Amino acid sequence: MRLTRTEPRRSISKRVEPVILFAIGKTTFAIAASAVDEIRSLDGLASCSMSSAYRSLRKVKFTFERSKKNYLVVDANLHFHTPPTQATRILVLRNSSVAVLVDSIDRMCELTAVRKLPQAFTGEERQWYRGLTVVEDKLVPVVNPQAFLSKAESAVALTEIAARVAEEAKKVLTAKGAVSA
Amino acid sequence: VNEASQAGQKTNFVLFPLGKRRFALLADAVTELARPDRLHTFPHTTPWLSGVLWRRGEIVPVCDIAPVLIGPDAPERKFYLITRRKGGSSGEWTAVPVTGECELATSELLPVTSTLPAYVCGVISLETEIVEVVDLERVMATEGNA
Repeated sequence: MRLTRTEPRRSISKRVEPVILFAIGKTTFAIAASAVDEIRSLDGLASCSMSSAYRSLRKVKFTFERSKKNYLVVDANLHFHTPPTQATRILVLRNSSVAVLVDSIDRMCELTAVRKLPQAFTGEERQWYRGLTVVEDKLVPVVNPQAFLSKAESAVALTEIAARVAEEAKKVLTAKGAVSA
Repeated sequence: VNEASQAGQKTNFVLFPLGKRRFALLADAVTELARPDRLHTFPHTTPWLSGVLWRRGEIVPVCDIAPVLIGPDAPERKFYLITRRKGGSSGEWTAVPVTGECELATSELLPVTSTLPAYVCGVISLETEIVEVVDLERVMATEGNA
């Protein structure tokens, strides 16, 4: 299944922001609709495990190819340090090579305000979230899409993947050479 | 705390129960005792915060200090003590879950002995008990699991 934006984005007022609500486990999150390029099913994912020294790259569990471009799929549970859940969808982030594995897509809605995370929160969540918003009397964290994987981390991971592909191709060529000899 | 600790000066405290023990906060920092409210939770890594409350249009972080003060077997928390703590330009509300009703007491803040934990900023001597006065900032700075 592919849900791709087909209509041009509407101009929006400064105070109203369309967001996509998605779930991971029992938690509902919001992400700016403008930060999402596509919502996909899990079809076409290739499993991968990063051997890189970057500890943060361990959350990259899959890759996929779209329009001849490799994408890195971040397991949201590993990103948020939450227990494993049943992922069914991928949010492909706009203007990046990063996608996020999530349990389900709830719906779209419009936010009128994103409130700052209270100062009492001092951990990684300050990078993870832009703030909190109220959706039907429920406080929902609004994720910061850049926090899933930085550009530097993406570059390292993509380089590692390219190196592996080149190594595999070399092995195949060597094996073919040995057979023909 | 420094102002309150001037020799002989009596200060107001809110005594709150956690299991069989009672602790105290400076009354100036406490705004109300609230009934249980809906706790909104989301992933985070800050120790002792269990979530946030949405009260009167404000986001109030909930700081469950019971495990620090009395250990992991704290009984069910029944009320929220809403306090004002440093944070941001004008301070920030923080809800502290407590296990029973609170009480106001006026007493002199006595200096701590070296054997008490670092989060105790003084003690007050009541008729039948010595109560530790807690510095919420220091409790929240205590190492622990999110």
